[in-house]
Amino acid sequence: MAHTSKSKAFRLGLLVFIALVVLTVVEFFLAVYLNVWLLLVIVALCKAGLVIYYYMHVYRLFQADTTLDRNSYAYKLATNRLGLWLFLVSDSFVFGGLMVARINLLGLTHPHLEQTVGLIVTSVLLVSSFFMNRAETAIAHGKRNQFVASTAITLILGIAFLVGVIGVEWRIAPFGPADGAHGAVFYSMTGFHAFHVFTGIIFLAIVLRNGLRGCYSSERHWGVEACAVYWHFVDVVWIFYYPALYLIGTVIE
Amino acid sequence: MKVILSLGLIRGLLWQLLGTALGIGFFTLVRALLGLPSWEAEPAIVVGALFGALFFLLGVGVLNDWLKWAAGEPTEDHVDDSHLGWRRYFGPSLDHKVIGVQYLVLSLVLMSVGGLFALLFRTELAQVQMQFLSLDQYNTLMSLHGMVMIISILMGIAAFMNYLVPLLIGAHDMAFPRLNAFSFWIAVPSAIILLSSLALGGFDTGWTGYPPLSVRAPIGIQMFLLGVSLSGFSSILGGLNIIATIVRMRARSMTPFRMPIFVWSSLATSIISLTATQLIGLSFQMVMLQRLFGMSFFDATKGGNPILFQHLFWFYSHPAVYIFVLPGLGIISELLPVFVRKPLFGYRWIAMSSLGIALVGFLVWGHHMFTSGMAEYLRVPFMYSTLLVAVPTGIKFFSWLATAWQGKISFETPMLFILAGIVVFLLGGLSGPPHAVVSTNLHLHDSYFVVGHFHNAMYGGFVFPFFAAIFYWYPKITGKRLSETLGKIQFWLMAPSFVIMSLLMMRIGLLGMRRRIADYEPAFGFEPYHLIMTIMAFLTALGVVVFFINVIYTQLKGQPVTGNVWNSRSPEWQVPSPMPVHNYERELIVVGEPYDYGSPGSRYVKFVGEA
Amino acid sequence: MRHFIVVALLVIACTFLTHTAITSIDILPRKASAQAIPIDHLFEIQLWLISFLFSLVTVTLAYSLIVFRRRPGDVSEGVHVEGNTRLEILWTVAPLVTVIALAYLGARSLSEVQRADPNALQVEVLGGQWFWSFTYPEYGVTSDELYLPVSKQALLRMTSLDVIHSFWVPEFRVKQDLLPGKITELRVTPTETGEYTLLCAEMCGTSHAYMVAPVKVVSQEEFMAWIEEKISQAKLDPVQRGRKLANQYCTACHSIDGSQKVGPTWKGLFGSLVTLEDGTSVIADEVYLRNAIANPNLQIRKGYPGNVMPNFGNILTESQIEDLVAYIRSIE
Ligand code: HEA
Ligand code: HEA
Ligand code: HEC
Ligand code: CUA
Ligand SMILES: [Cu+2]
Repeated sequence: MAHTSKSKAFRLGLLVFIALVVLTVVEFFLAVYLNVWLLLVIVALCKAGLVIYYYMHVYRLFQADTTLDRNSYAYKLATNRLGLWLFLVSDSFVFGGLMVARINLLGLTHPHLEQTVGLIVTSVLLVSSFFMNRAETAIAHGKRNQFVASTAITLILGIAFLVGVIGVEWRIAPFGPADGAHGAVFYSMTGFHAFHVFTGIIFLAIVLRNGLRGCYSSERHWGVEACAVYWHFVDVVWIFYYPALYLIGTVIE
Repeated sequence: MKVILSLGLIRGLLWQLLGTALGIGFFTLVRALLGLPSWEAEPAIVVGALFGALFFLLGVGVLNDWLKWAAGEPTEDHVDDSHLGWRRYFGPSLDHKVIGVQYLVLSLVLMSVGGLFALLFRTELAQVQMQFLSLDQYNTLMSLHGMVMIISILMGIAAFMNYLVPLLIGAHDMAFPRLNAFSFWIAVPSAIILLSSLALGGFDTGWTGYPPLSVRAPIGIQMFLLGVSLSGFSSILGGLNIIATIVRMRARSMTPFRMPIFVWSSLATSIISLTATQLIGLSFQMVMLQRLFGMSFFDATKGGNPILFQHLFWFYSHPAVYIFVLPGLGIISELLPVFVRKPLFGYRWIAMSSLGIALVGFLVWGHHMFTSGMAEYLRVPFMYSTLLVAVPTGIKFFSWLATAWQGKISFETPMLFILAGIVVFLLGGLSGPPHAVVSTNLHLHDSYFVVGHFHNAMYGGFVFPFFAAIFYWYPKITGKRLSETLGKIQFWLMAPSFVIMSLLMMRIGLLGMRRRIADYEPAFGFEPYHLIMTIMAFLTALGVVVFFINVIYTQLKGQPVTGNVWNSRSPEWQVPSPMPVHNYERELIVVGEPYDYGSPGSRYVKFVGEA
Repeated sequence: MRHFIVVALLVIACTFLTHTAITSIDILPRKASAQAIPIDHLFEIQLWLISFLFSLVTVTLAYSLIVFRRRPGDVSEGVHVEGNTRLEILWTVAPLVTVIALAYLGARSLSEVQRADPNALQVEVLGGQWFWSFTYPEYGVTSDELYLPVSKQALLRMTSLDVIHSFWVPEFRVKQDLLPGKITELRVTPTETGEYTLLCAEMCGTSHAYMVAPVKVVSQEEFMAWIEEKISQAKLDPVQRGRKLANQYCTACHSIDGSQKVGPTWKGLFGSLVTLEDGTSVIADEVYLRNAIANPNLQIRKGYPGNVMPNFGNILTESQIEDLVAYIRSIE
């Protein structure tokens, strides 16, 4: 893990975060002034690429295996990583399927939603990803206190996201799940995603508790890494769902 | 009594009962507290079934280690439960061999249940007009037959992938043993939920569950949709485990092109089940949501699209048919060289053709929808892609022929089933292109020709290779060999009668017999055919009964055999049967090609420290 | 080499044998539409292909099994051949070419099947649980039998009332699903007069098996005569018209002799006191009947499922509903 020096790793996390923020702003204004779906898709792909590479460390999957001992922690860690990524591949088919349903049923229209809420929950999730990355970097460099603090912040932001989507957006939306295709699509996409956020929050809570009890060290913290990768995955899904639900196309009443 | 209660399975079932009751009660209570009319059957039962499944898992105890991890407690890595004897087959064992046998038993149980349903509705079909089933009963039995059989296949391939893959690659277990146990045990409550639809009014949609019909069906359909969604997790997580095992757990010297061929087909199958399975779960859950919350995904009057369901459904269910057959074809490729005493012809081509079938299989789903009213311009591209699958499948057939050519062929029971598998799958495969060509499909779609096609494909690609595998590996699993005489009786009961039945299915299908009908027009003159088909179905079933007798007889009377029964080169036969608890005591080293039969003195594997 | 020649000859012989055996029985029903011609032509080609491939594989396999079987006492192994790249390429490329050619033929025959005649006779087909109904918009005629003039293309514009159904007349060879809320089209040009059966080919619930309707292909003159008759029938008395409508739409679910079906029986219904789902009772008068037909979910009869009876308010005209009420009233 600790290939990069300490401060470099934190700086990289911050830089990626800034890039993501800029892209999100660009995305929003692109949607407002120049609603071309292709551009929005390209921006989303860039954001997803950044998260997948720098926050989820997908390259770790392809790092050459230098360990020979099959019973060593390093070997099992690599196996676990593969397992987790396979799970995410599988899961992304669910989200992909919902996206197909959305494209098929709504095309170049999107439901009538409160844009400020959308922007706020999106930002909250983005910031939570930043803190999740900070937490992982911290534990990898043995900074336990920073790790605990960042995990706690991530957890709180995660809950805030859920409150934003379920507690606010679902309540103020001018339509219910039974109101036409846009209702069905909106509630199912946000619902499936929220369910994943919810499981991610449970995962975070477990990591936080075990972190407080000192279960993780800078060498052994697979639990934290798995939680982080999962959390970023949920973020990546939202990177696509946000424009799909809020930005692309024109509003249907 | 104490022993019985110590069995994970029994505990799980009791807990499931409890969980279902709790779930229903909980839901009703919440509604009452919210001031809603407290009783509404459908959501209450769905919540109950979900609770039931969760409680089953808790009761069995497969979640214990994960709960410990979450609590930050350490867990044992190499659990040895062999002291439990037969009882470990009824509990959450982590040993891949035990789990393989558990899958095998579940598969056979489900096959018997599904087959029994088939016998019931076939009896009804023997004559025109309804004799002893009502229309709704027929539809329910027919639909359940389809899905129960399909889940039985999924369990059957999981059985052999679980048992064999670690042995064939020289691993001591799967990559994720707990996940493996979970994959198996989630299937048990799912199967129970699926079958419980019988008690809740059944459903009449066929195994495909197309809306809007499935949105209007009785409550039973919720159990069908939920049971299938849950058992999907078994497939998904099982596939994940197999891929990780193959990638990470191979003996160090086993390069990809020296893996036994069955491992290649398991890999191809697992890629499909890992990814595509999510879509059947999703499409079924969307129907559940539409029923429960009125979300109008598929309701055209409210902006939905019924065709969307078919796309999502077939995106899984077409690749799924290759999930069913790839392991079976792998077994054929694996066993053929043993009984022919010749190397497998074109090993690399066969290995790659499995991947080819799996990947092209993702691009063809639209061939089930040629008449559905989907976008017109999609029909021709789907025809091309579908026909393309014939190419890698052909490679397998021709390579098998070349393998058998100039061999020294012997005809033990496994070989007989292999041969039946090849011929029957050929019938199934060759009836594929007429479906795949759009204009002939317009006549064939939803006729008994389709029914004949897929029974052939499934019997040839799964059922017969499955029995071959059971006969072949039975000594490895139990240390006893199944009776050859009874095996041959079973074969001659099953194979010819099945072929006759399926050919008659195709015949009447071409003449205009629709599928999924409880009764048919006397004017078409199908009655004699149906009568013969019913008789043939009973003969096939008798063959299965003989198989069960064989198992019981062998367990009671069979002599122990521990050696290399089939004189095979495969690693698992180089150690005594039954397989030791932790598989190979010494690490395995690959020193040659897997199928170099007929080259004296050559070996495939040896063990560390062996000359 | 000798082996190969023998096998090749046997395969050829077996191909012809299989083909002859299959064609000696009528494998397809009578061919009765212009669309059936390209389709049957393709079936013929596929039959040759299947006969050949089936013979190729089974004959070669059987030959190996017989000629190369292990004789008693023989413990030697087979010859050591691991593969042959040239052969593998051959049996990859040959099937590839075959299937591409087959797909090409398929696409051509499809375009022939779909060829449109601008003067086609329009028929609106409506399917519902579990009935068929055919409307000829040019003549304003509705019927429960499908009458088609011979040698004239019919353009069937189809839709469904509830779930998916499928239009199939085996003799016409073509099939098309009916979707709720959408119109699908099918073109058939009957070429032979006679009587056929229209089958619903998509699972549509309880009585799917019985969702059939007669199809009559007649000469142009007979067709016009039938249309005339239909038009004059409309002047019959209301009970007669009601009975016809009921046989078409209702009797799958309602009996007139008191026996149980999906819906309540009509025997003695008129004027009786019926209990509703919510516990109240009403007299089954004309208003009640009309509502029950045109807006069935308004009042659900106790003991019967709601949402099952289709809403006929959108399908039937006001006068047709009156005919039905008159008919129900007439049942003692
Ligand atoms: C085990 C399962 C299995 C397998 C392996 C297959 C294999 C194939 N299937 Fe089948 N199929 C089903 C199970 C299976 N199918 C089921 C369950 C249904 C019905 C679902 C439902 O509606 O309920 C179905 C339905 C179905 C349909 C839809 C029919 C309809 O409802 O309208 C079609 C249409 O294209 C089709 C095509 C094919 C093709 C082209 C293959 C090919 O993979 C076959 C390839 C093999 C060969 C062709 C033979 C060997 C090859 C050679 C000897 C080489 C040379 C060959 C040529 C040059 C042609 N299948
Ligand atoms: C692996 C899959 C599989 C298998 C093995 C079978 C096996 C059989 N199938 Fe099935 N079938 C399907 C998959 C399968 N089927 C599917 C997917 C459908 C489509 C459903 C749909 O349209 O939705 C279908 C549909 C289908 C139909 C069409 C129904 C219709 O359209 O109306 C028919 C009709 O004859 C039929 C018949 C049979 C028969 C007679 C057998 C026989 O081979 C069965 C033989 C009997 C046994 C294997 C059981 C033997 C056991 C016992 C007798 C009990 C002994 C018990 C103990 C000792 C404990 N099947
Ligand atoms: C798919 C099945 C189905 C069809 C087709 C159908 N019905 Fe019904 N019908 C029902 C059911 C179920 C009920 C009872 C539930 C209700 O009251 O809505 C019912 C109720 C009725 C009632 C009220 C009877 C009572 O006893 O209260 C009338 C009148 C009626 N139908 C007339 C018709 C007519 C006229 C047609 C044809 C134009 C028709 N139905 C077609 C299923 C059907
Ligand atoms: Cu209508 Cu089947
Ligand atoms: Cu398919």
